[in-house]
Formats: sequence, structure tokens, C-alpha cells
Amino acid sequence: MKRFSVRWFSQQFVLALCVVPFAVSAEMQGLSDAQLADVQGQGLGIVLDDFKFAHGTDVDNGRIFRIGGIKSSAGEDVEIVVNQLYISGSGSNYGQNLSPVNLGRLTNPFSIDLEDGDNIGIPGKAVLSVNAPSKVSAADGFSCLDAGAGAGSGTCSSRPSGANRLGERPDVGLQLNVKVGDNQSSNLNVHAKSAVIDGSHIRLWGDDDRQQLVGQFKLNFYTPELSINACEQDGSDCGSRIKMTNFALELALGNKLQPMYLDVDGSGNFVAEIETIRRPAQGAIAQDGTRQNSNKAEWDFYEDYYTNPDYRSNLRIGNFSVGDRDFGSARVEGMLIQHLKIDTHDLAP
Amino acid sequence: MQQGWIIAAILGLVMVTPATAEMARLSDGDLSDVAGQGGIYLSGDVSINENGGPIQNAYFGTCDEGSKRCGARLAFQLKANGGWMVLDDIRGKFSFQGLTLRVRNIDSGFGGDGAVFNRDVLEVGLPNTVRYDDVQFTLANSSTARPSDPGFQQTDVFSIEMQGDVVLEGNLLVFPTGNP
Repeated sequence: MKRFSVRWFSQQFVLALCVVPFAVSAEMQGLSDAQLADVQGQGLGIVLDDFKFAHGTDVDNGRIFRIGGIKSSAGEDVEIVVNQLYISGSGSNYGQNLSPVNLGRLTNPFSIDLEDGDNIGIPGKAVLSVNAPSKVSAADGFSCLDAGAGAGSGTCSSRPSGANRLGERPDVGLQLNVKVGDNQSSNLNVHAKSAVIDGSHIRLWGDDDRQQLVGQFKLNFYTPELSINACEQDGSDCGSRIKMTNFALELALGNKLQPMYLDVDGSGNFVAEIETIRRPAQGAIAQDGTRQNSNKAEWDFYEDYYTNPDYRSNLRIGNFSVGDRDFGSARVEGMLIQHLKIDTHDLAP
Repeated sequence: MQQGWIIAAILGLVMVTPATAEMARLSDGDLSDVAGQGGIYLSGDVSINENGGPIQNAYFGTCDEGSKRCGARLAFQLKANGGWMVLDDIRGKFSFQGLTLRVRNIDSGFGGDGAVFNRDVLEVGLPNTVRYDDVQFTLANSSTARPSDPGFQQTDVFSIEMQGDVVLEGNLLVFPTGNP
């Protein structure tokens, strides 16, 4: 039988001491600044599931949706009555049969995020970013325009409705009635079928030099059919429908080289401005225009500015028709906003 | 000797009884059977300056005074020393019934996305209809933050007025993006 000597106890004590520090190591530890710098907060993803929205004006049932406070140039009050505004599942037959739809995918949702500007070409800034689902590679995505598209047909992430899914492409529509003074117009209807806004974003940050809010807006809007028509007040008799099939709008307002400055001036008018791109330093770009003979960084800067498709706006209409007359397709592509200044003015006398 | 037994018995009782009232550990197996239930069901109404705000001066007043504004005012300055963007005259009442709040595990559905996603989300169940009662606001641009500041000048861009039942169906799902 083993004898417990003093030596044996001291050995056990040392062993126990060795064990105790392991227990301590399970406690919380401080993080160094370097370690903390690697920790990234994640953005917030938002998906609307089984979503349906509708509002409008039905005076008999106490429903009113009005936009007012606008005056015509003659000083008459202008009142816009929104008869119907809806977001519905596809196949709504111009808002007649509302059904639910999903907005955003769980794997590619709408998101609100504070992004590190270094990663998106706005160095040294924290950028507030509100994003629609992003575009994906053509191998995984769906055609942005085709309401019956299958996987691998395009770059949009939102899917059209299908046999076992609601899809992420809503029908949206708006019916307006404009009243100027006592003159009431006909109803104006705008409907978009199976609409997609993938790849759109709003980025906002502050500019140190101008001490001003700065933004970058990208609005993508795709629909297989955008239609506009006018009807009698009671909706009985409608005029010809203006139809734009395969409508694709990719609008870029402000980019990382030319952001959009937003302001309200001292007299209470809104000002939005995109500054002209800076001029190259004298001699930075060679007379012959080649990269070889120019300042390489300067040359690359302007090459990027003039060739990057992200900075450009496009509008494509597959077919434009009024009633039964076709006017064919229209394209405005590669528009680069080089300078823009929008300044609102009060027309009220 | 008999006294000794009695003391021992009493001690035994005293010691045993409190022991049964103590908290017992749950095994991992038992713990895994414990589930939090439900969520929150909210009904209510929110009114903003229904009769007017607390400030009474030349510009703000109660809603009975036709010439004055009785709604709330929010002003944002977009540029240092610049003008102000204003949400003015915000007032009205929203009532809803059945706004729900719960945590939902999604591992199926969504056209195949659910199985890939397989995580918990915060689900806000929208109340199907929201009743708007004289809800209105005005978007404006102003030279000063407060109407009582010197040099006040304001341009109203447009105002919106909503009343009646608004259809708002579905669920709002909120979750962290990326791979936490």
C-alpha cells in the first residue's frame, strides 16, 4: 500500500497549481487594440415576408390619401389625390387582385449598414449605406426583366414568382388624380409589373472640407411592363394605354469621384450639386494621350472615370407602344453626369 | 440515549427539509427540453400632437387656431451654417391591433432559401390594417431651425395627408447580415 508522505502531498499541490491556471484561462480576457480592430459589426438584414400594402382614397369609407401644399404658377392650389397605391404579388391585374409577395431574400436581403469607406472607394469615412439586394453573378441569378426567368438567366437576385414560391418581385402601382384650383383632371394610372430594384443603394457620409452631407445614389428599376393610362373619374372610360415593355432604368447620381452634395440654402431652397471632375495638373496627361507618356496614376484616374460603367446611367425600353401602335425600342446608354446643380425655387407670389 | 435519538431525528428533519427546497441542477438533457414560449402581441394607438404641442407662440398653437401650426417639427441641417430641411406640422393618430414580436427559426420555405439560411430571425408581424386618423406632415426647406429665430423663411415643398384604413400585411424579418 502506498504511503502518503509530505513529499507526495507537495507533488500533488504543485500538480493542483498547474490545473488551477487552466481554470482561470477560461475567464474573459482583454482584447488588444489590434484584435479589436479586426472585429467587424455586421449590418442589419431586412426581409418582408408575405407582404402586402395598399392605401388609397375612398371618401365614402373615410379613406383619404392626399398630397397638397403645392401651388400652380398662377397661384392656384394643386391637390394630388392618391386614389390607390399598392405593393402586391405579381399577377395583380393592375392592382385589382392583391396578393402577398416577399421583398428581399434571406440569403440576399435589404440591408442597413455602416460600411468602412475604404472598401467602397470612399477612403477614411464611415458610410451609412442602405442597400437593396445586391446583383449576383449571371450563373446564379435570374433575368431582371423576364417574369418567367429561371436560375442562371441574369444578374438579379430577386426571383419571379413560381410554382412553389411567392417570388421577390412585386407589382407596384399608383393611381393619381390631380386637381388644379377647381379643375379636376382624369385619373392617371401608373403600374409596374414584377418590379425589381436589385443593385440599388443609397450611401451617405459627411464631407470634412465642405462640412456637408454627401451622398451617392444608385437606382435600378427593372420591369417587364410599365404602363401609364388615363381614365375617367369613375374609372369607367379609359384612354389608350402607354406601355413600355422590358423597361430598365439604371440611374447613378453621384459616384465615389463625384459625390452629390446636399444642402438647403439660406433662403430655404433645396440645393443638390454634383461638382465637375477635377482637371489634371498641367502636363500630367501627355499631348499624345498615351498612358506611357503620362503620369500613370493621373492617367488611370481619368481612364477609370471615363470607362467605369458604375458611374453611368442607362435607360432601355424594349418596346414603346400607345394603344395598338408600336414605336419600337429606345435606348439611352452610358450617360455620365459631369456637372449637375438642382436648385429649387419658390414660385408662390 | 433516547434524547440523543430525538435530537438526531430533529436535526435530520431540519437538515433534510431545507435540502429539498434548494435548487436542483438540470442536466443538459433536461435543459434542452426547456423552451421559451410565445412573443409579444401589441395593440394600441400612437398619437402625435393630436390637439397641439406644448409650445404656444406666434407660430405654434393648438389645432383649433386655424392660423397657427399645431404639429411637431423636426429640422435637419445638411451643411454647416446652411439652411434646414424640415418635417413640419407632424400630427395625427395611428391605431393598430395585433402587431406581434417574436423570434422565429427559419429552416424551410422561402423557395428553398429557408433551408440554406437555417437561423433565427426577429419577426415583427404586421397588424394587417393600420388606421390613420388625420395623419399629416409637410416637407419644407427653412432658413432657420426654429420659426421663432430671426430671419426665418420657409418654403413648403408638399404636404401629405392620410386617413382611414391602410392594408399592411405580412412579417418584417430582421437579422444580422454576414456570418457573425
